[in-house]
Order: sequence, then structure tokens, then C-alpha cells
Amino acid sequence: MHLVPLLLYAAATAAYVAHFAWRDPRVGRLATAALGAGVLAHTFLIGMQTVEAGHAPLVGTSAAISAFVWLLGLSYLYVELSSDERAMGAFVAVLLVALDVIPALDPTVTPRPPLLRSPLFTVHVVSMLFAYASFALAFVLGITYVLLFNEIKAKHLGFFYARLPSLHVLDVMNGRAITVGWIFLTAGVTIGGIWATQIHSSPDPRAQAMSVADPKILVALLSWGIYSFAFFARRAIGWSGRRAAWLSAIGFVIVLLNFVPVGFFLTKSHNF
Amino acid sequence: MRLFAVGLSHRTAPVELRECVDFSRDGVDAALSALVERNAGREAVVLSTCNRAEIYAAGDTDATVEALERFFGDYHGVPHAQMSEHLYTRRGADAARHLFRVAAGLDSLVVGEPQILGQVKSAYSAAAEHKTTGALTNRLFHAAFAVGKRVRSETGLGEGAVSVSYAAIALAKKILGDLKGLGVLILGAGEMAKLTGVHLQAQQVTQITIASRTLQTAQNLAGHLGGRAVPWTALDEALAASDIVVTATGATEPVLTRRRVEDIMRARRRRPLFVIDIALPRDVEAEVGNLDQVFLYNIDDLQTIVHENMARRAGELAHAEAIVEEEVARFASWMQSREIIPTVVALRQRFESIRQSELARLESKMSNLPPEARARLDEITHLIVEKLLLTPTEQLKAVSDQAMVAAYADALNRLFSLAANESPDAADAGGPETKTGGRS
Repeated sequence: MHLVPLLLYAAATAAYVAHFAWRDPRVGRLATAALGAGVLAHTFLIGMQTVEAGHAPLVGTSAAISAFVWLLGLSYLYVELSSDERAMGAFVAVLLVALDVIPALDPTVTPRPPLLRSPLFTVHVVSMLFAYASFALAFVLGITYVLLFNEIKAKHLGFFYARLPSLHVLDVMNGRAITVGWIFLTAGVTIGGIWATQIHSSPDPRAQAMSVADPKILVALLSWGIYSFAFFARRAIGWSGRRAAWLSAIGFVIVLLNFVPVGFFLTKSHNF
Repeated sequence: MRLFAVGLSHRTAPVELRECVDFSRDGVDAALSALVERNAGREAVVLSTCNRAEIYAAGDTDATVEALERFFGDYHGVPHAQMSEHLYTRRGADAARHLFRVAAGLDSLVVGEPQILGQVKSAYSAAAEHKTTGALTNRLFHAAFAVGKRVRSETGLGEGAVSVSYAAIALAKKILGDLKGLGVLILGAGEMAKLTGVHLQAQQVTQITIASRTLQTAQNLAGHLGGRAVPWTALDEALAASDIVVTATGATEPVLTRRRVEDIMRARRRRPLFVIDIALPRDVEAEVGNLDQVFLYNIDDLQTIVHENMARRAGELAHAEAIVEEEVARFASWMQSREIIPTVVALRQRFESIRQSELARLESKMSNLPPEARARLDEITHLIVEKLLLTPTEQLKAVSDQAMVAAYADALNRLFSLAANESPDAADAGGPETKTGGRS
């Protein structure tokens, strides 16, 4: 069962890439349908895991990645259906497949330790994941912005020119994604901070490790700094377009590093 | 019943004649009514655009073509001799091929232009409302819409602007999104500036501003375009407020230097700026294009894009023609399967007439039979004829191969002397007329 979403995401990726290359609207609809089916299957999977464990499967990096993939798929579908723009799908779906491999290989639901029984934990994780999903979309929008930007600047109108929406649209959507992500990131970090002070007296070594010096928390604050800059620089000094695109690309690379390698190997506070 | 297309287009007629032969001037409805009055063809659709005037009709014989050709001259008051040299005629599958190519934009002046499909659709709906369409034209036009759609979605035939002004507008849209509500600044007030202004105006930009070294000429052009003129000294403010700048001055030195545009970009908080330099010598320093969020294209760049697009479209031609041929083959086989129908009808009529004449011959011997027995006799003979014809009818209707249709029709004509009653119009796909009964 845990492989079904991955297979459907892979099918969606193939269809989105084929649609991007050959622009057959039927293949495009097929891609959306496959992604929709993938997200639906993923919803069932997470639902089943919730029933089995008696709590939302958010404990541990693997489960968090699964939830992130699900949220990203859902957010992307929302963006696609509301903007009627399918070109981004090829990029997003690749990301979904690459990340969903991890929970598909390690589908066990970690039992929730007593430390995490606070509702603040759930709110913290869900906010962070939602922020990361927004940043993933901003990342894809940024990458495509730069690809199109370079074609137009080089005066060689080709592959991306024929396939991507306008620079203006990409930039506006990037700005929105950063805004939504920044709000959730700010909320997630704040709630995480409050919750960390609440559990400070706990004998659990992970609670003791909750400090700015912990790599996971440090890098999260670094990414908050970058996105805060992107958020305010767009408004205050007109950092839109290519600069905003690069900021969102760098920001998401850091988020990914924090999410996967740091989450798995380095952190002492977030290794559940 | 056969399909005919008669018409003229930019390929066969000079513009003066095309202007005369405009069915849409008095409304296509009037032309359709006139066609019905003249009894030219059993079904008719009139397609009239600025580059073509065509009538698609279904008729029984080639006399329909003659009638349509005369109609072209008579309706527009042009002598037949003068008109006929510019008219082309297509029959059967060739007529279908012609319409499919038209609908796909393959026969257009600018190959691949998208408006023609809409024009074909409205020509058909006008005829449908006027009830001059029938089984043949209904099927034909729906197939044409499908061809147009397929060519648009499966090939790149309609992609990429093929004129400099459209290339510029397409680029502006790709950079700035919807042009509605954007500010345009035109530097210079000459002919080129005017032309570009007209094109941009059609995109419903909010404000067109014109700056020229002499305020009077700027004001003249502004009046013409419904824009606003600013003095040359207020150029920087105007630049800061615009999203698209078109430069077309006669200046010998660059008007927009890198330094100047750098300052302006700061003033406009780096909102993207699309600069189109159509002046010769150039009005904009080449380094301006290196600034972030400034997109500089000159006339040569745009021309290069146009050439690339044209080459790409040419590369898609074969693909589009292949789609047309595929659909023509499908349509032709449908038409051919219809062509056997007159033979079937004639065959049944022949059998029925034999039955009737035999019954009439026996009339004197049956006069003393009771009415029930006579009714029974009629029923039995009718059933025998039906039984005899059942399998041949089914078999004939299943034939879709053109040569087989002709062979069957010919054989049945000979075996049952059908031609005397009704001439089956086993029309071919445009080949020479060899059938007996081309005229009946």
C-alpha cells in the first residue's frame, strides 16, 4: 500500500514531462489525473497510519517527508487548478517522486514518545511542512523564471519560451508562494520556540538539546532569515524578478538540506 | 449526391476582385437566400473572409458547378468571363481536402493563422440557421472543425509570431504578462512610431505617451492615438512611469544610454522594462540590454525571431498536411459508403416494380378471389422480394472501398438494367467522369 502513491507520482511525472515536451493536452489531463490519484492514495495511506498509530504520522524524518510530499502535491494541485497552468507540474512531480522514495522505503510509523504529546508539536510540524511546501513551489517558480529569463535575455526564444507562462506571472506567483511560506515558517518557528521552553525541564536528552546551537534549529533560523529578507526586500527595495527567483532557489536548497541530511544525521534535538 | 467547392482566394484572384466578391457585405444570409432561389445545389455553405470567397455545395451533377460559377458573377455583377478565370472548382474528396486545408490555416496568406477556423465555424452556423446544410455538409464541416483543432493542438503550425509587430507584442506579453493597464512610451513621432503605436493601442494598454524633440509633432501623434504628449525635457519621468518603451527617433546619437536607464531603473524600483529599438541608427546603447530587468530588442533581433518562427512553421507543414490527408481519407470513405445508396434504392425499386407489374398482369385471373386472399398474396410476394434483397442490401451497405463500390454499381446496373430507372451517381474522388449517367 505504501508504494501506491509513489507509483502514481512516478506515472504523473512521466505524463507531466511528456506533456511539457510535446504539449498534448490529453497527456496533460492524464498527468493531472495521475497526480490527483496519487494524492488521494497518499491521503488514504496517511489516514490509515493515523488510525493505526492513534495519532497523525508526523514523528520522525521519514514520516515528516511523507506528509510534506502529500502537502506539496495538494498545494500544487490547488495552484494548477486555480491558475490553469500545467507547465510547473513537470518540475514539481520530479520533486515529489524524489522525496517520496524515502518514506516508501521506510514506511514504519514511529510510535510517538511522551515528549511529543503536546498539540503544539502537531501545530509546529504542520506549519513547518506547509511552509516548506510553499517554498518548494517558489523554488520551482524561481527556477523556471530564470530559465525563461535567460532565453529572453539571450534573444533566443525557444523551448521554455513556448512552454512557460510569462515572467510577470511566474514572478507574481513566486511572490505569493514566498509570502504564504514565510507566514507559516514564522508561525512554525515561534510555536516551536514556545514548545521547546515548555519541555525544557523534561529529562529527555532531545529536549535538552533544543537550543539555537543544534544544527536543525540553526539552519531553520538561517532559512527564516533568507525568506524574511526575500519577503521584505520585494516590498521595500524592489527585489523581484531574477533576484527573488535566486533567493527562493537558495532558500529551498537550504530547507532541503535541513530536512533530509540534517534531519537524519546531524540533529540531536529533532531525531525522533 | 456529390460535394462541390467553388471559390476564389488570395491565391487566384487579385485584391480588387476579392473586394468585389465579398458575400459578407450584404450578409451571408442574403447570399444563401439567393442560392436557394436559384436552386444551385441541394446543400450550400458560403464562406467569405477578406482573403477568400467560397461556396461548398452538394448537388447531383456537374450542373451544380456551372450554376455556382454563374452565381459568383451574377451576384456581384461581374461578367462571367472575367470571373471564371479566377475561380477554382473542387469535387468530392478534393473539395473536402480544400476545406480541411482552409480550416487548418494551410491555405491562408499567413500560414497557420488562427482566425480562419472561427470564420469557417461561423460560415457553417449561418448556413445551418438558414437551413441550407444537409447530411453531406454537416458531416463535412464537423470534420473540418476537427482537422482545425487537431492541427492546432498537435502541430506547432500556429506558433510564433510571423511579423515584427506581432513578435514585439508576443515578447511584451511573455515578459510583462497581460498588457492591459500597462504604460507605453513612444520616442519619436514618425511613421514607424505611429505604426507601432496603433498596434500597441489594440492591446488596450492604459496609457500611450509620446515624446518627441518637437512637442508639436508629439501632440499630433498623441491626438491620432488618443495618447498624451510630453516635452522632451520630461523624458526621464515618462520613462520611469512606463513598462514598454518604443524608440523610433531620427537621432544620430543614442538617446537611452546605459547610465540614464540605470538611473531610471532605480527610480522605477527595478520593475521590468521592455525596450524596443526600431530606429536606425540605434536609439539605445547596446549595454542597456545588460541591465537586470531591462529587456532590449532592436529591429534586427525581432526580424531574426520572425525568420526563426517562419522556419519552424515550415517544418510543421508536413505534419499538418499529414493530418489533413488522414481526415480526408476518413471522410472520403464515408462519402463512398454513401455512394452505393442510390444503387441500393434503384435495385429495390426494380424488384418492387417487377412485383407490381406481375401482380397487375394476374389481375384478371384474381378478380374472383376474396379480398383476404388477395391481401395475403400481396403480403407473400412482398416478403419474397424482401427476403431476396436482404443479404444483397446488407452486403452493399458494408462496401466502403471506392473501386468496389464502382464495380458493384456497374455490375448491378448491367444485371438488372437499373440505369434506365435511376442513375447511381458513383462519383469518384475527382477523377475524370467515365460513368454512364454523369448527367441524368
